Amino acid sequence: MTTTIPQQPTPEQAPDGAPLLQASGVIMRFGGLTAVRDVDLTVNTGEIVGLIGPNGAGKTTFFNCLTGLYVPTEGTVSYRGTVLPPKPHLVTKAGIARTFQNIRLFANMTVLENVLVGRHTRTREGLMSALIRGPGYHRAEARSRARAMELLEFTGLAAKADHLARNLPYGEQRKLEIARALASEPGLLLLDEPTAGMNPQETRATEELVFAVRDQGIAVLVIEHDMRFIFNLCDRVAVLVQGEKLVEGSSEVVQQDERVIAAYLGEPFEAAPAEGQQTTGEQENDR
Amino acid sequence: MHTLPQQLANGLFIGSMYGLIAIGYTMVYGIVQLINFAHGEIYMTGAFGALAVYTNLPDSMSIWAALPLMLAGGAIVSVLIAVGAERLAYRPLRGAPRLAPLITAIGLSLALQQVVFLWYPNATAGKHFPQLPGGPYHVGDVDIQSGDIFLVVAAVVCMAALAAFVRTSRTGRAMQATAQDPDTAQLMGIDTNRIIVIAFAIGGFFAAVAGLASGLKYGQIKYDMGFQAGLKAFTAAVLGGIGNIYGAMLGGLVLGVAESCASAYISNIPGMEQLGGEGWKNVWAFVLLILVLLARPQGLLGERVADRA
Amino acid sequence: MTDIPLATAEAVLAPDTGRRTAPFIPLPRNAARAATLAGAVVTIASTFMSWTYTTDFPGDLTVSGYPGGLQVMTLIGAIITGVVALGAFRLKGAAWLNPSRSNNSVLLLALATLGTTWYTVIDIAAKLGGIANLDPGGFVAAVGSLLLFAGALALPIDRRPQEPADAEYYELGRFEKSALVVRSYVWLREARLHHADMRVADARKLNPWLQRLVIVVVYALGLKILTFGLATDYSDIFLGYLIVVAVGLWGLGAGGLLRQFQQLTHRNKRFAATVGIIAAAAYPFAQNNEHWANLGVSVLIVGTVALGLNIVVGLTGLLDLGYVAFLGVGAYAAALVSGSQFSIWSGVQFPFWAAAITGMAAACVFGVLIGAPTLRLRGDYLAIVTLGFGEIFRIVVRNLDGVSGPKVTNGPNGIAQIPDLSIFGYNLGANHDIGSFTLGRFANYYLLMLVITMIVVLVFTRAADSRIGRSWIAIREDETAATAMGINGFRVKLVAFALGASLAGLAGTVFAHVTNSVVPDPYQFSGPVPPNSAFLLAAVVLGGMGTVSGPIVGAALLYVIPEKLDFLSKYELFAFGLALILIMRFRPEGIIPNRRRQLEFHEDETTAPGKRPLGDDTVPAATAGA
Repeated sequence: MTTTIPQQPTPEQAPDGAPLLQASGVIMRFGGLTAVRDVDLTVNTGEIVGLIGPNGAGKTTFFNCLTGLYVPTEGTVSYRGTVLPPKPHLVTKAGIARTFQNIRLFANMTVLENVLVGRHTRTREGLMSALIRGPGYHRAEARSRARAMELLEFTGLAAKADHLARNLPYGEQRKLEIARALASEPGLLLLDEPTAGMNPQETRATEELVFAVRDQGIAVLVIEHDMRFIFNLCDRVAVLVQGEKLVEGSSEVVQQDERVIAAYLGEPFEAAPAEGQQTTGEQENDR
Repeated sequence: MHTLPQQLANGLFIGSMYGLIAIGYTMVYGIVQLINFAHGEIYMTGAFGALAVYTNLPDSMSIWAALPLMLAGGAIVSVLIAVGAERLAYRPLRGAPRLAPLITAIGLSLALQQVVFLWYPNATAGKHFPQLPGGPYHVGDVDIQSGDIFLVVAAVVCMAALAAFVRTSRTGRAMQATAQDPDTAQLMGIDTNRIIVIAFAIGGFFAAVAGLASGLKYGQIKYDMGFQAGLKAFTAAVLGGIGNIYGAMLGGLVLGVAESCASAYISNIPGMEQLGGEGWKNVWAFVLLILVLLARPQGLLGERVADRA
Repeated sequence: MTDIPLATAEAVLAPDTGRRTAPFIPLPRNAARAATLAGAVVTIASTFMSWTYTTDFPGDLTVSGYPGGLQVMTLIGAIITGVVALGAFRLKGAAWLNPSRSNNSVLLLALATLGTTWYTVIDIAAKLGGIANLDPGGFVAAVGSLLLFAGALALPIDRRPQEPADAEYYELGRFEKSALVVRSYVWLREARLHHADMRVADARKLNPWLQRLVIVVVYALGLKILTFGLATDYSDIFLGYLIVVAVGLWGLGAGGLLRQFQQLTHRNKRFAATVGIIAAAAYPFAQNNEHWANLGVSVLIVGTVALGLNIVVGLTGLLDLGYVAFLGVGAYAAALVSGSQFSIWSGVQFPFWAAAITGMAAACVFGVLIGAPTLRLRGDYLAIVTLGFGEIFRIVVRNLDGVSGPKVTNGPNGIAQIPDLSIFGYNLGANHDIGSFTLGRFANYYLLMLVITMIVVLVFTRAADSRIGRSWIAIREDETAATAMGINGFRVKLVAFALGASLAGLAGTVFAHVTNSVVPDPYQFSGPVPPNSAFLLAAVVLGGMGTVSGPIVGAALLYVIPEKLDFLSKYELFAFGLALILIMRFRPEGIIPNRRRQLEFHEDETTAPGKRPLGDDTVPAATAGA
């Protein structure tokens, strides 16, 4: 439930539509298993791109390659034209933020503290500053807290700023993850199954939130299984099956592609009645 | 005799002992990512268990006849403690943050040490342990004690048996699977709890063998022998690649040889005359650990740890 | 599930989802209350009788009309239990000791009284060889305290909210058949002997001057109780004292008193801190005894070192098992520049501030040397490396005597005859008279150490509640997520590690001067004499990881209790190990719970966010504990 969108300086961006993230030829091998095969993906500024595919297709692995958690066996990932260093904290510093498939909040910190940690990369005050507590320190802390509260209001969590993260209901934990990711002022936000386990209302609210994020000038790349969510939201959709990018295009194009249907629903056999839509299945970690 | 072959031989002997103990550390770490600090004490209690059996056997019995019984006695003690520790101390903390089982392990190590200390009040001086008759045997330049022979034979037999077990038996394969990915292994129907118990048990058994061998080699056992040996053995496990049972044995051998050579030959290096000998042995072992961690942190044969990210 | 336990379990549980369990001993309410109060009165009366006829038992328990020794413990326990009980029974004006009006408090305090009384009685019999040695007074005491406890057991106890009625009693296995076991089990599971979510009157509503007065009184009382405990000559008396104090505090906590006190100190933070410091500084004046001052210095040193370890272990979650080596580095560095003739630099004598910086710098260097290669790797490796470093430090220092190694540290004999410090002309080694008090050598060092402890506390709190402190906690909580948020794990961990090492080095500087000499022996992983790494770790864990006062309290307890209970000295290390195991299993947060756990239960008490400014009134991020 987004409230008013607070005014804030938009991050410096390339002219709208210019490529923000470029992954080319990404291959990820684990021993004998190739989880990601030669995937190219581009995300432009101002876009919301969806990444779908059956479980085990390599989507989360691909995300991990983008954010430096895994070092791709081959291929490059560049952001705003510069190749990204394979260290997660440097990737975040460059401007890519992410959420996780299994929520990874700092359970024993408060909601506000979680978001403050997200601000880490945009602040500089180190140990000495903390010990001396000069005016610079206080200014920076106040600024951080103000920004954190802005983000909490943006995601609708301001009332629970002092609650422990572990005590939030599931839907709000997901929102907190997004708020925390936004705290690093990214140009690109990677969302890994943000609506998993949500009911339709919560999903609708998440949709609105993602639109609001995009309106802030942040591009979004989202993995999801909820087709309606994806097709409502995304300008472009890429389909990953068994590590390969099968198809990429607008929602309509992807929805009607035979190969996609086959991958999700399987090859029909003679006696089968017409199927309804696929259920999302278990949450397996993509490898 | 400080000839090179003798030093190498000494290194290999002590190294096999480190290796046997290291296997216990590495198997447990590979599956549950826990440094079982109490493992050194399990080695120590194995030795004391063997001694307890020996002292209760009739004097007329020869050491050779007593040996299997001593082994059984030590093994029973070690395995019971290992399995008991897993069940009562570690399992309840499976989901807890990582520090909790580590601190528990330290507490357990302290407690076990003290239990033995209190049980055998004179253990500060070391309790006398019987030794095997015969020897030393001369092979070329090298002197070999009978205790050493037992040690090497035991190490080889154990290693071979373990390798065969892990590779061919169903349980062994289940262990490999659990070590690689416990969640999937569970989904495949493997009782991971049972596997973990077996890992602890095997580790305990090997530690008991090492304890018995240590007693036979040195002729005495002390209540605090577990601490030093445990530290060295975990170093060996890291050296060889944590989680990798072959790495554990290899790491042990490498560590043993390095120690042995360092204490003999470092003083020959100009400028380091005073840094050789027994007193500095442990220091060089530590330096080796640091160097390995700097240069090749995954160990000589590579890590094999369950991915719990 | 057999039928018998099912029926019993259901019968035991309160029929409604009310907040109280049925009492353990089913008695009508008035009978229970009467029994409790009668028990208290009888017990109190018994302390005025003589409990034994011979003075062989420590403390003089032979006199009628005048409680002595352990009788005083029982007396105090019984009085407090009585007042708390009256508060629980809703007698007007008696609730100040039991603000939550909870029967749990009564039960625990009755347990404390029972414990100390029966301990005394049994101890008399055991020490003097037979029950015949007990005077009638002793029997009266035993009966009275038992009556008190039984009465308390017959009171309904506050229960945990919303626990499922079908508790997992089937865990009991073959004990299922025993109705008594099942009932005890269900009762224990239902009873809410912890109290974090109870409602108490908000102490902050008191008149502000009254609040401050309460704080002063409490601190003064605390000091008195502490010095009383230290003054006990016999371990028997100390044990009785310990039972009353420990279980009693637990009981008062169950009544909500501690919660209120925390509210007061939180509201009056600066005042409380000042009073606390004054109380601590008053300690050497409260008893003109060098032995206690020595104890005080040692506790402060160990506590400060534990606080430094708390940064590494408690905040950042790095397991450092060789921490005491950094204390040693600081101590040796200070010793080398102290001007002692045994030092290889005997011509050099640094003033204190320079020695302190030297100690800190040396320890910091070693911290970085150890941390840099290891902190990049998986966290468990740090444990082994630090353990190894701890061992190596001692070996190296012992070998550097010119024979087995280059001559630096004078080997096993260490560097002795370290001169006392002289700060601004005040010679810490000499006695100084201030008014009617004499400050001896240890008292001087105590005051110096107090200043240093305050500095370390300041460093800790400021670091914890800041950007870097948050990053430490984030790393501890979930390192992968933390790095994804842009935290450079390695650098942040190295800072924590180096800072911890530096603080230990600082404490080491004072340590060297207090003990006049530095030897290699104490710097081991575990041993009978603190400080050693296992002791420090236990202090942090027992006291409360991540809190400010926790490690100091933990260090104090672990240092003082073995000192006073010297009949336990053989079992000390065993008790240590056992304590670590049990704490991790049942109360991993330690004695002083981290503030954030309390936050968990504040949901209904949180004021609307609009009213709460985001300034210093907000509960600070990581400033946990008192």
